[in-house]
Amino acid sequence: MLYYFLKRLLLAIPALWLMATAVFLLSRLLPGSFATDRILENSAGYYSKGAESDRQAAYQSYIRRTGLDQPLFYFSLAPATQPTDSLNRLYSETKQARLRKLAWHYGSEHNAEAYLSSTELIDKQLQTYPDASLKHHLQTLRAEVKYHPLQDAARKVAVVASHPQVKQAAKQVLERLQTMQQERASFAFLVPQVSWHGRQNQYHQWLMRLLQGDMGTSYRSSRPVLALLTEAIGNTWWLLICSMAITLALSLELSILMVKKKGRFLRKLLLPFLFITDSIPVFVLALLLLVLLANPDFIQLFPVYGMGYYSPQRLSFWQQLSQWWQYMTLPMLCLVLSSLPYITNQVYASIHSAMQADYTRTARAKGLAEGAVIRRHILRNSLLPIITIASDILPALVAGTLIIETIFAVPGIGRLLIDSVLARDYPVLIGIVLVIAAFRIIAFLLADLGYAWADPRIKQQLA
Amino acid sequence: MKQVWQNMVYLWRRKTAFRMAACYLMLLLLLALVLPLLPLPYGPDELDYAHTFQPPFEPTTAPDKARHLLGTDSVGRDVLSNILYGARTALLISVPVMLLATLLGLILGAGAGFYADRGFTMRRSSFCVLVLGMVCFCYYGFYLPIQITRVGLGATALAASLLTCALLLMLLSGFFVLLHKRVTSLRKRIAVPVDQMVLRLIEGLSTIPRLVLILVLASFLPPSVVLLSLILVLTIWTSVARLARAEMLRIKQLPYFEAAKSIGLSTNQLLLRHALPNLAGPVLVAFTFGLGGLLALESTLSFLNIGVPTTLVSWGRMIANIRSDTSAWWMVVFPGGFLTFTVLAFYTCSHYLTQIFSKNTRG
Repeated sequence: MLYYFLKRLLLAIPALWLMATAVFLLSRLLPGSFATDRILENSAGYYSKGAESDRQAAYQSYIRRTGLDQPLFYFSLAPATQPTDSLNRLYSETKQARLRKLAWHYGSEHNAEAYLSSTELIDKQLQTYPDASLKHHLQTLRAEVKYHPLQDAARKVAVVASHPQVKQAAKQVLERLQTMQQERASFAFLVPQVSWHGRQNQYHQWLMRLLQGDMGTSYRSSRPVLALLTEAIGNTWWLLICSMAITLALSLELSILMVKKKGRFLRKLLLPFLFITDSIPVFVLALLLLVLLANPDFIQLFPVYGMGYYSPQRLSFWQQLSQWWQYMTLPMLCLVLSSLPYITNQVYASIHSAMQADYTRTARAKGLAEGAVIRRHILRNSLLPIITIASDILPALVAGTLIIETIFAVPGIGRLLIDSVLARDYPVLIGIVLVIAAFRIIAFLLADLGYAWADPRIKQQLA
Repeated sequence: MKQVWQNMVYLWRRKTAFRMAACYLMLLLLLALVLPLLPLPYGPDELDYAHTFQPPFEPTTAPDKARHLLGTDSVGRDVLSNILYGARTALLISVPVMLLATLLGLILGAGAGFYADRGFTMRRSSFCVLVLGMVCFCYYGFYLPIQITRVGLGATALAASLLTCALLLMLLSGFFVLLHKRVTSLRKRIAVPVDQMVLRLIEGLSTIPRLVLILVLASFLPPSVVLLSLILVLTIWTSVARLARAEMLRIKQLPYFEAAKSIGLSTNQLLLRHALPNLAGPVLVAFTFGLGGLLALESTLSFLNIGVPTTLVSWGRMIANIRSDTSAWWMVVFPGGFLTFTVLAFYTCSHYLTQIFSKNTRG
């Protein structure tokens, strides 16, 4: 038995690793990082009037600090023209894009970089010797990739420019442009190049930190992901466990009532009701309850949002609990109502089929009361499918909590997930995915334990 | 196929609930198709700042303007036309997505059930060509074109990349055809464990809840209907595949199928003529049931405003308006009720279909 569990746990590790890796790699493949959005924002608010160069410096230090200047993975397969130099990553994203464009177009990264630095020299000269007449041509030099317009613009700058320094710089631009054109290899991008980066890559460092228990810090709040998760998990955990327990107990009781002979009327009433409840999407159900039960216009039974206010004096345990209940009742009700139909149906079917078994007839023939037959003989035998159902509804419940926490503003994992998806806060997202997956694996293990408890024969098979 | 049709006709004649649900769904589909031709007083994105948060069934205040029958939302959009156009969006997204997902699930599930782990064999040489060809295709046919369009190199570069891809594939197969004649070990057949592969894939996709998976995937991509549909197709095929696999395993055991096998029919004939028609019923059940779930999922996503652009008219967007004023009940009750009705209709159809098909298979 122990051996079996150890095997299951060990097999779970590669699955978790694969999932985290997939999320990490996908999140880093995306163009446009969080930092460029925040730091390089030109039209930022009133307070951020920092100069362009300051922003550039801040960006570079951010990139260096977070290791974003390193290659993504152990190796990479890219066209030979693709700029792979890690220094390039320190450039701003617009400059990176420009360099990439030129390199692909002319088939040489080296020449493109030389050309780009020469155009920057012009910009620098113009800062000391401003010249408004060149603006149009400079724009061409910055945006165009085709050779002839670039050549025209560079020539015109060299002719029109009033200051010899600028003229000199323009001539250099022209020179480098010509070298680029002479050594042009239009289809160089077709040649692939495999480069090996060794251990100095983002993935390796992220994985090593993860193995040491460091999940990184949130992009949004710069707080450790672990702290955010531990803060949020408590609310979700209690919400999930309480509503799951209530749902299971309710569905068992309802099914027992329905299979009894007297339960015909209840069955006719309850099954269609459950069928209709099943088709109401969770968010509509939650909002309907919110509008109906937590609204001054209708019935104000419950507080609407959140988890209660901060109170200055320490509340006793019971006071805390009562306050918690006030805020949790409505979310729990939603969750129970949304998962009840499916579970009740399954439990009912499983108990119903056990009713037809021979041992039930024997128990009845012995003269046992109906309640005793159901509780002592039928229930025990229909436990196996019920355990399967209990471990199966977890995903539905998790999906339900996501939506319910968002609607009722409960600060739990679900809301954290939605917020991080909206803000593209990937470190938090990876953490949440890992937590949910680990949770599910543990649930499966517990279900196995439950099987062994409900049916001792399984224990022997597993051992 | 004929039997499926006969069953549906039987249900239509005998079961009132099925007939009502089917009628409602057909009307809804018709409405979604002809909606742009209908003379509605307000468009779904038309703002009417003079009448924000107007309750339903109120007479109009301006004599020259039509009334908002079901009220308006926080910026004065008409609830009625949003509901109608929302139905159109929901159906136009869900039906193609579900069709594609069903097709994918059917192919993978039926294939996995039919071939099992040893049934699908290929020569070593073809296997090598397949693997290397996939790598080539991924690089030249997929990665490079994306990069080229991103860098803006133009059509010649694109054509060059695709041409290289085709050329490499041809060279590869030619090379292996030559090698195949010389090296005998390449001619050996190896079994591809289709069943194991599909099962692992399904297991992997269902390790984390579907909604979480979709949300995480949607966070990598810009909000767009096409990309979201792609994500949906790639995540929801698993339920159809599971069902198709189980049905296929059952069909394989049936005497008629063994008889067909024993008279030496080809794999194609076995699959297309004898297995698929019997799969049609269960797959239809999965299709209707999945469609109901997909409608709910689509509006949930647009309610959370994840994966869809905010310009998309949908039930979820309308319902999300309730957050700015919780006493505006009409913004939940009408779209939510409509959504629930539609889902209910799909579930009813699927319920009756399940009943009749399980009765058929029991004999």
